[in-house]
Amino acid sequence: MTDAPQHSADSAPVERLHPFFLLTGLGGSLRGIAGGYAGIGYLAATGRLEVAILGAIGLLVATAVGIFIYWRRFSFRIGADEVRIDSGIISRTHRSIPFDRVQDVDITQGPVSRLLGLAKVKFETGAAAGSEEGVLPAITLARAEALREHVRARRGLQVTRAEAQQAEPQPLFAMDLKRVLTAGVFNFSLAIFAGLIGITQTFGEVLGFDPFEREFWERALQQAGPVADYVETHRFGAAVAGLLTLILLGLLTGIVRTLLSDFRFRLDRTGTGLRRRRGLLTLTDVTIPLRRVQAALIHSGPVRDAFGWRELKLQSLAADESEKGDHVVAPLASDAELTPILNEVGWQAPAAELPLERFDRAYVWSLLVLLVPLALVGLVQVIILPLAGLIFLLAVAGTGLFRWLAWRRSGFLLEGERLLVRTGWWRRRTSLLPLRNIQSIDLNEHFLGRRFGIASLTIGVAGGRGFSSHGVPALPRERARTLRDELLSRFL
Amino acid sequence: MTAEPQRADLDPELLPVERGYINVLRVRTLMSWLPPVVGAVVLDRAVLDDSRWQGALLVLVPLLAALSTALAPPRIWMRLGYRLAPTLLQVVRGWLFHTDTVVPFVRVQHIDVTRGPLDKAFGTATLVVHTAGTHNSIVTLPGLAPDRAAEIRELIRGHIRSDLE
Repeated sequence: MTDAPQHSADSAPVERLHPFFLLTGLGGSLRGIAGGYAGIGYLAATGRLEVAILGAIGLLVATAVGIFIYWRRFSFRIGADEVRIDSGIISRTHRSIPFDRVQDVDITQGPVSRLLGLAKVKFETGAAAGSEEGVLPAITLARAEALREHVRARRGLQVTRAEAQQAEPQPLFAMDLKRVLTAGVFNFSLAIFAGLIGITQTFGEVLGFDPFEREFWERALQQAGPVADYVETHRFGAAVAGLLTLILLGLLTGIVRTLLSDFRFRLDRTGTGLRRRRGLLTLTDVTIPLRRVQAALIHSGPVRDAFGWRELKLQSLAADESEKGDHVVAPLASDAELTPILNEVGWQAPAAELPLERFDRAYVWSLLVLLVPLALVGLVQVIILPLAGLIFLLAVAGTGLFRWLAWRRSGFLLEGERLLVRTGWWRRRTSLLPLRNIQSIDLNEHFLGRRFGIASLTIGVAGGRGFSSHGVPALPRERARTLRDELLSRFL
Repeated sequence: MTAEPQRADLDPELLPVERGYINVLRVRTLMSWLPPVVGAVVLDRAVLDDSRWQGALLVLVPLLAALSTALAPPRIWMRLGYRLAPTLLQVVRGWLFHTDTVVPFVRVQHIDVTRGPLDKAFGTATLVVHTAGTHNSIVTLPGLAPDRAAEIRELIRGHIRSDLE
């Protein structure tokens, strides 16, 4: 390395973000003030156009000035042992991150940044997921790569330039375009409709546009004349066409979203961990330190399973670029492709046929007991509103059926030094948890489950977010106790 | 709840917390009932004025408050227990929703002993144990004598390792 800093951070030259940050940062800030647009939109829609334009200009200027001051007040120094970041407009933050604590350097490039040759750098310290510590929002890509090399060199993992310039070795896992598109099909999503509902709820009234009111469609059909007659006469056909449109849009949303995030997905083995690169417009380059991986999650669904596709996530202490703490290391892969990845983490892939120990039958019964009152409500509804009641009853029955199907393929297995738990029928999940990563165990019993003599185990694991907790949902009380003792045996 | 639950229902190895904790719970229950009682008075005066039901809330809500203050805290206390095994801490609580938590000492990241005004008034302290877990990363053990809490803290502190494996 030629530009390795030799001096301490105190005497290091003060560096600033690249001036083009004024452009890239503006984009981010403009995205962040949705409330302002709502106000302007409202003003424009209610006919106060001048006020709206003035407001828009004011907002833009204020944002630009804000960005400029932020840029002026943001400086960093890179010493041999640490990076110092001074930031903040009114309340100043002086942050020092010792390189010894940095696991790796993540580099992200948004579409504008790519055009300008900039990158966002994040020092991965393994702090709590989602915390914004150690981020340099815009420096040149070359500087970012030099920084990364410097950090790696300190960790004794120096990759010499010559070595790096050699043809890259075979990736651990990669997805071609066809695979990305296939993955997109399974990411079927109706989120776009949720967005539309949100927009019409906010602006619909002002714009006189509310597709969730019968009146709106009646008016629209009256204006449409011949189309209206056609729809009136071919009700069934119209319904089918509507449904098809819905499915098509859902598929399209999934494919576009997957294409944006997973295009040219590539996973490599590096010194400290797994390096993942992906993205169509926004390129991300993230290293997942192996030492920080706590558990592995294999997701699938009934259709994906039929084709032998799985998704592999690693639950890690280090934060992912998204809000979730689980790193996707293979969005859509076959079992044969998963095995080498898991082996790199030091784990074995689960065998196809496992001698799983099933959950207690009360896993199904306790839910059915809860569903009975809902079913009664549904029955009453059928008398009053036959159609709505029937749909409601079907939903209740479906919930019970899904639980039963889930129970049939669920189970757990203590496999040497790890716990394997498989749950779900529609959202299939297999979790692999090494016993040494267990932080705490809860044994829960509630008044309903007690009638069935069951208890559940909830296992505290570091990293990960939200609802992806580990545990075994329904076990006979005594079995729950013995299993807990087995899980904790290494701590006894 | 049917029969009065006896302390013996719990595992005999589990240690009880201070009796003073019952009083802490009593005051806390009373305080949590304060807004509903005020709400009931306002409702009674403002909305139910001159109706047949005037006065009903004024009796019912304070009655509920008194009942829960009298009955719930001893039961919560009775169901709360802890155990210090050589390498782990166990905290057991609750009946309707019963939880039995086990934390190995080596998994503890840091420990707090907190004492609020109520704790000070009734001579108790709360031990708060933090693990690295996302779920259930904070385990609290309320109602300990302050000396006992400090003793447990020292005991666990000896086991804490600085970093995760």
